[in-house]
Amino acid sequence: MTPNSEELLTLLNKAEVEYVVIGGVALVAQGSARATFDLDVCYKRSKENIDKLCRALEPIHPRLRGAPDNLPFRFDTKTVVAGLNFTLATDLGDLDLLGEVAGLGAYDAVYNCSELRAVEKISCRVLSLDGLYRAKIAAGRDKDLEALKEIKGLKDLKERLGQE
Amino acid sequence: MTTEQRKLAYELITNPPPGSDIAAAKEYGIDLTLLVENLNLTVAERLRKLYSVAKFLEKMQQSRIIR
Repeated sequence: MTPNSEELLTLLNKAEVEYVVIGGVALVAQGSARATFDLDVCYKRSKENIDKLCRALEPIHPRLRGAPDNLPFRFDTKTVVAGLNFTLATDLGDLDLLGEVAGLGAYDAVYNCSELRAVEKISCRVLSLDGLYRAKIAAGRDKDLEALKEIKGLKDLKERLGQE
Repeated sequence: MTTEQRKLAYELITNPPPGSDIAAAKEYGIDLTLLVENLNLTVAERLRKLYSVAKFLEKMQQSRIIR
């Protein structure tokens, strides 16, 4: 399996899934020099959107990341409605699906803290630096608090340089 | 990784032994599921993964706001 997050986002876009890229990849889009291996997205928890999400991911065989192969798991609308957050491995790479983001709330609140970005040939909504800051504070783990210093420094740098 | 090793790894990351370094890593915020997936790859596969992720992250860094 060779991960291809761009293709994964293209799949979500084609299926018209409502989502916002959050986490480490969003941080990189905002200028961070950190590397991250998984793609985190916040998805809208409407029945229609969950249907679209499940259909979009079906061809790339979503499975529970880190779980043994024989652990029963079926990624379908029923499962997603019953759960909230899912850490998945897919044929196109690791994908974390979050129904809510601590410090921000559910999809609509996350959407309001996001910006539409062009990433080569595709576009996707990405969490803003302010949104990332609020999410990291709320997560509150040592790893998140460590990232806060970089976010604050990055924000200050961008403001002084007059960058968006 | 063998099937038995994957099963054991899942148990260890789901319920890390109290006081272990695995528990400390989880508490710090390390996503242990990513480590298990990486351990399941060969060295060559890990390097291919790293290269592919780096290419995507470069594109994200070069992304621009549309609105």
